[in-house]
Amino acid sequence: MASSHSDAARMEQIITEFFAKSLHIILETRSPYASSRNFSGEQIVSSPSSSASSSSSVRPRDKWFNLALRECTETLENLDLWRQSNLEPMIVDVILVKRSLDWDPINLSPNPELAKNLSSKETRTNFWNTDQEELRNEGRSEKIVERWVLQYEVRKMKDGRKGGKRSSSNLLSLLYKKSMLLLRSLYVTVRLLPAYKIFRDLNLTGQICSFSLTHRVSSFAEPFTHREEAEMQRFNFSPIDTTCGRLCLSVSYRSSLSDVNSEGSTPMSPQFIPDYVGSPLADPLKRFPSVPMSRGSPSLPFSRRHSWSFDHYRASPPISYSPSPTYSEPYTPASVPCRFPPPGLQPHPHETSNSQKDNASFDEYYPSPTFSPSQSPSPPFYVPGSHISKALLRSESAPVNIPYRKLHTSSLLKNPNLPPSPPLKGSRRGNYRADKIVPPSHLSITADKLLAVGKDDCNRCTGVKISISRCSSRSFHDDFDDSEFSCPFDVDDEDIIDPGSRPESFDQKGHLREPLEPGGLIPIRKSQGAAVGALVDLLQKAPPLSQEHSQSAVPSQMDYGEAHKTGMEEPDSISKFHTVQGCSSSVASSGYHVSKTTADALEELRAYREMKNLLLSQAGSTQTLASYSTVERMEKDTK
Amino acid sequence: MNCEICQLKELEVEHYEIEEVLRCILHTIIFHRALGLVRPKEIDLELFEITYVQCGDTEVEKKIDEKIEQFICWVEKHPNKKSQICLSFYEVKNKQASWFTNKIERLYWEQWYINLNVVQQPKMHSSKSSNSKVTVESGEDSHEDRSVRRTTLEGSLRDVLFQIIKFVNDKKDHVPPIPNREGVISFPYEITIPSSSDSAFGMDMIKRMLQTGHPTMLS
Repeated sequence: MASSHSDAARMEQIITEFFAKSLHIILETRSPYASSRNFSGEQIVSSPSSSASSSSSVRPRDKWFNLALRECTETLENLDLWRQSNLEPMIVDVILVKRSLDWDPINLSPNPELAKNLSSKETRTNFWNTDQEELRNEGRSEKIVERWVLQYEVRKMKDGRKGGKRSSSNLLSLLYKKSMLLLRSLYVTVRLLPAYKIFRDLNLTGQICSFSLTHRVSSFAEPFTHREEAEMQRFNFSPIDTTCGRLCLSVSYRSSLSDVNSEGSTPMSPQFIPDYVGSPLADPLKRFPSVPMSRGSPSLPFSRRHSWSFDHYRASPPISYSPSPTYSEPYTPASVPCRFPPPGLQPHPHETSNSQKDNASFDEYYPSPTFSPSQSPSPPFYVPGSHISKALLRSESAPVNIPYRKLHTSSLLKNPNLPPSPPLKGSRRGNYRADKIVPPSHLSITADKLLAVGKDDCNRCTGVKISISRCSSRSFHDDFDDSEFSCPFDVDDEDIIDPGSRPESFDQKGHLREPLEPGGLIPIRKSQGAAVGALVDLLQKAPPLSQEHSQSAVPSQMDYGEAHKTGMEEPDSISKFHTVQGCSSSVASSGYHVSKTTADALEELRAYREMKNLLLSQAGSTQTLASYSTVERMEKDTK
Repeated sequence: MNCEICQLKELEVEHYEIEEVLRCILHTIIFHRALGLVRPKEIDLELFEITYVQCGDTEVEKKIDEKIEQFICWVEKHPNKKSQICLSFYEVKNKQASWFTNKIERLYWEQWYINLNVVQQPKMHSSKSSNSKVTVESGEDSHEDRSVRRTTLEGSLRDVLFQIIKFVNDKKDHVPPIPNREGVISFPYEITIPSSSDSAFGMDMIKRMLQTGHPTMLS
């Protein structure tokens, strides 16, 4: 009978579409990233009941069972078998894949596939974790957390079935209605089962988790072991009777996935600690564990915070190699123009104003906060150290408006005291410190000045120093001759300097002063601002530091001396300075210049290190002493 | 056609939880009965880790919110009482005009009773309004208690949702044929809260209240 054939065909079609719809409902909430839906919570806005608006965007398959679902390509890929025959059971296994926890943080290459699911920001910050995903092919464990079984059980129906008297169209309507009801309840059920939370976590957080969710659609599956059965609960949807059989849907699921959920946000992901930034809670002297530099740069022997990390208002640094460049920049509340991407991506640690704490892993970059490509007009002032800092050019910092710009720049740059890169390179710590504190170019003077600038304005000095050291050496080169530098001290001191650090600098300065004095460095106790300004001028005028500049350093030194003289109010200091410069200028051999430069540089490094330590020593000064002794050691080594 | 009645598991809720709990339950039920073309809308509860589904019809949403608001008002007037909200689906039968009235009869084919026990924190008995001072003074114990309560309630809410799912699955035959009507909602429904003026229904409520021992429920 034609009608029966058509009814049978129609029924088969309903069942086939029922399979498709069921699979769609299951996979759209079990297959992360598969759906085109924005899982951030934005839903497809439900269209009002008006058919006009809904019909315009209703796909043919949406109309089946009056349930319009989001696009899910996974469904379409898996339906071939059941399109041909709906007699095969459809078994959908939702599998939780766990990865082992050991990961190699050094591997940095971002994984675009994984990154695609992250926002761009997250990609940058979490990129290095995506690598872990790639690396973890071994150490995977899979566990079936859900098994959906959909089957159309065909049975020979007698013609005298109770429903036989009913018209087949009524039966079809009944079948269709019941299918709709079942699918509605399926839609609700998939969102109540524990695996849904995992799915949401994977989709929404974008965190690199130690687990992921995958699925397997097949027409057969190995039955669970007794143990697995015991761990799972089962829910059977009421079967839908048809004339030829019945449609059965059931789910076996693990009721407890707490171990997964707890791992979902384990420290596997980088400790990108938002509240850490700016949090003033950390112990300033807390030592970072030696975290290998993800950039492949050798890790420093010691893991210390950046000298700029004035920790009294910094949170404790994350232990993991955080993409957040915990680069503390205490002095630059208003002037952190240089923003760097997370350290993993680039050599320059990301920096946010006033709230970055330098990770231990960034120690290597200490020397080159000034070397960071300056995105600010702030002084490249640090050019003198540029050749040194090239090796250290993993600067982290943002350019800070550096009051020193105008001071002594040029002369300092010409200062032969600035060691060429190799000597400073030789002692990483020295470089580190020197750069961190002050460009070696102006070390001989700057350090003195800064130290001397001293007690009254030592905060300014330190602030200035810090900002200087933060300048990119490259930018320093570029901007060196620019006249864009305004008088830095006047403008930037308040911006840069952290008042809290002043006491430190005072003390530090005191400490530094002692060792420096033997070196002929002159503390300046008065008119520190003027002294600093003079220093900045000198530095500004100084040419880029290089070996060949050593020859020309003499006149520049003299210039510097003069500039210094003009800036200085203490004749003693000036005379001493001239003495120092005179000694420098009297050196004929480049070697002497070099050694002298190195010594001066080391002196400066030490000075600034001391200052840094003082600043950091609010909570304790053990590290200060250690660093100081290190500087001392370095000096002895070079001398 | 018989009227299937589903008594949902009683939930002990605090005042501020009423809205979310009711919304979740009512929408879930209606979603199962909205057999028109539906674009489901998933909503995450704020207080619980539960995602429920709405049918996406704004009228439904509005109606539910209104009823919840009325219920909350009622609860405020009758604190610490067990209450029921009834969601009924009916068919409209035009009764033949008789010498009484030309009354439209409603044939209820399904009723869902949402049983709530609205409680307040014991330490807050002194004042109805949640006092921050009281909260502070209550210390950590109430915090713990509250989280335990919250977890328990979440589990109970899940149970209620599964109860709905099972009921929908088990009982399909009583669902009337889907009327040929536009829109998401296939069947007319009504939400009854304790202060309903529907006397007939109110009598049912009174009976139930008598059974549960709260004869003073009706205002």
